[in-house]
Amino acid sequence: MLERRNPLSKIVAVTPLMAAAALAGDVYLPLALTGLALLTLLVGGVAPKRILSALVPLALVALGFLALYPLIVRRELVMHTPAVARIGDLVIYAGALRLGLVAMARVLALVSLSLIFSLTTQVDDFVRALVQQARVPYRAGYAALAALRFAPLLRDELAQIRAAHRVRGLARSGVMGELAQAHRALVPLLASAIRRAERAALAMDGRAFGAYPQRTYLRRVTLDWADVGLALLLWAAAAAILLALWALGWLGPLSFVQRV
Amino acid sequence: MIALEHLTVRYVGRKQPALADLSLTLHPGETALLLGPSGCGKSTLALTLNGLIPHSQDVATFAGRVTVNGCDTRVTPPSSLAQQVGVVFQDPEAQCVMWDVASEVAFGPENLCLPPDEIRRRVGEALAAVGMAGWEGASAWQLSGGQKQRVALASLLALRPRVLVFDEPTAHLDPQGVREVFAAIAALKRRGDHTLLLIEHRLDELMPLVDRVIVLGARGELVAEGAPDAVFNAHFDDLRALGVWLPQVTLLGARLGLRPLPVTLEQAEAALRAYVGPAFHPAGNGHRPDFRATNGPAAIEARALSYRYGAREALRGVSFAAPEGSLWAVVGSNGAGKSTLARLLAGLLPLQGGALTIRGRDARRLNARDWSRAVGLVFQNPEHQFVAATVRDELRLSARAAGLDARQSERRVDELLERFGLARHANANPFTLSHGEKRRLSVATLLITDQPILLFDEPTFGQDQQNAQAIQALLASLRDEGRTVGVITHDMALAARAQHIVVMHQGRVLAQGAPESIFADADVLRRAQLALPPIGELGLRLGLRPLPLTVEAFAELAQTPAYA
Repeated sequence: MLERRNPLSKIVAVTPLMAAAALAGDVYLPLALTGLALLTLLVGGVAPKRILSALVPLALVALGFLALYPLIVRRELVMHTPAVARIGDLVIYAGALRLGLVAMARVLALVSLSLIFSLTTQVDDFVRALVQQARVPYRAGYAALAALRFAPLLRDELAQIRAAHRVRGLARSGVMGELAQAHRALVPLLASAIRRAERAALAMDGRAFGAYPQRTYLRRVTLDWADVGLALLLWAAAAAILLALWALGWLGPLSFVQRV
Repeated sequence: MIALEHLTVRYVGRKQPALADLSLTLHPGETALLLGPSGCGKSTLALTLNGLIPHSQDVATFAGRVTVNGCDTRVTPPSSLAQQVGVVFQDPEAQCVMWDVASEVAFGPENLCLPPDEIRRRVGEALAAVGMAGWEGASAWQLSGGQKQRVALASLLALRPRVLVFDEPTAHLDPQGVREVFAAIAALKRRGDHTLLLIEHRLDELMPLVDRVIVLGARGELVAEGAPDAVFNAHFDDLRALGVWLPQVTLLGARLGLRPLPVTLEQAEAALRAYVGPAFHPAGNGHRPDFRATNGPAAIEARALSYRYGAREALRGVSFAAPEGSLWAVVGSNGAGKSTLARLLAGLLPLQGGALTIRGRDARRLNARDWSRAVGLVFQNPEHQFVAATVRDELRLSARAAGLDARQSERRVDELLERFGLARHANANPFTLSHGEKRRLSVATLLITDQPILLFDEPTFGQDQQNAQAIQALLASLRDEGRTVGVITHDMALAARAQHIVVMHQGRVLAQGAPESIFADADVLRRAQLALPPIGELGLRLGLRPLPLTVEAFAELAQTPAYA
């Protein structure tokens, strides 16, 4: 369901929510927004397995934030809060833990919200929407699309080049060895990328690419009431969350800079 | 109708023109075959026909003119030429620009600003014409090479050009892909709406379609043109000297002294029945041409090798033995596991399941250095191996990696430069060499180490007849020097010259043995999607056993007393 929504409308719908998550001063708002994002994904027909495989690695990163934050936070920000633990000279303040929790919750919320776009949008549909609705020049959009198609091919090619060098006994271990290898792979990779680009350009020109200032489309990316509805629904839900938290006194200050 | 009048094209930075004073006419509805040695300007010619030269590609000289239905290509906009002439290129990856089949085919009509209903109609028609109706929703990534090329053809057909040019459309494909593309071309020919210009080297399959042959010389000049029978009969020796591809049956005919030379399989079959009369019949007299014994010790022995990339099983229980000092081949369709196998054998991938013995030693006990001294792998694209600024440095680098001292190294480098005909290019940048020279240099860099086992990934890929023959000869000479030479290939003519063939299919070994028995097994050929080499097809029709697969083997068989 989400996959059929206009890519640009998804961005428009999600952006204010991401802003709110980024400004949250307490854990409740980002956690609620994370919940809203996950609910939207599930109702929108994204398989739970895909959500998990995108979210789990990032959740681990967020946990890392939580663990590191108390150690790296500026002391004068949290010195006035009670200390919860001492490890030698190191003092862990309650305020620092709290800041860590908020940072983790913000990251989770931002990532979950961005999944509403990234898990449900094909790159080509996004470029189509940019060209058809955001009036990005089609020549630029389609050239970018053709170039993006090469990315996985070039990755395979790089792997082949490195294997070819390894088989010649040119591989050395260590950081300098890695650097030397990357440098050596550059020339063959560039040579092949340029050749590919030339060939693709010829193939596109051979099919009348750029013939007119405009072009038509077999598939138009639509913008309809469902897209507007999605945005309105998400905004309303976010507003309700904000209001409820405010009423409960759980909202905290909305500011990019955190204070305890 | 297309006419070239005194066309000369020279690229920027080149002294020699790619096409020299070429005058030609393509008649409506005909199917013409363009032949010429590699680098003679065949692809350049293709690009001039739809105006990409001079409109999209800068050239230093564009003299004379090309007219398409009376319009000079220099003043006709490329979008209008695109509706008259379409070119299918070699590389299926580089000419698919969209992410799904329908968008790919719709790309051209969209550029012409056609209304969506008309585009939809054309997409459907074009896909049906190439046998891919119903594939509209498929992603470009899930298509096989043959399917990609057919989609590329459909995306041109959607522009409704009357002229179609095929520039080596099967060069990147496995035998199944080749069959699919040829079937699509044959279907176009049957419909008779198009003028077809074919640039292709697998001639035996195409000859029945060809009305006219056009031959270019090494400098891009016209050497011969006319009906296939006339051209091949009148200019046979010139064409051989030029190094252009010729039908295998024509080469066989020349070898057997047949006159006139056969050009198609049918002609060859008829000629050979007449040649020896009723005596030329299945004999089964047990005569075997001189095939080298293959029951010596194994250079490589694999037992139940398995390999997986994450969840994808690439190899499942692969067992085979490559006889010491033999030329052996691994064949199979794309995705059958050939490349994974080659990388495992070369020590580029870690062993997972199964056992591998290399010259009697357990591969698990080999360190990386010993392994790279035992097995060399020549990659499909020679450029991938190049790292130095000159040919000589390229070889020196290998010598150093092999642990030679300065004096030994220089001697060895000179030796190899000489042997591979690269001495006069010693100070050239490897990237500026010709196809054949690059291939030779990539082999030379490996030979420095002098490994007893050499593996080649698609060694004849993209080479002209002369280069391909030179590579076959090189492989044979490496074998004759006592090395074990393995080739991974889609080139059935090359596989036919091996002593031992391993047929891979879906990660398993489907069959292995001598080429004569592998290629005689119709079931194996069908399941592994292989193709019989043209000479084998002829042998099959004549009921010959053992099945001859090469011109030499056939000639020898035909001249043995039991037959002749």
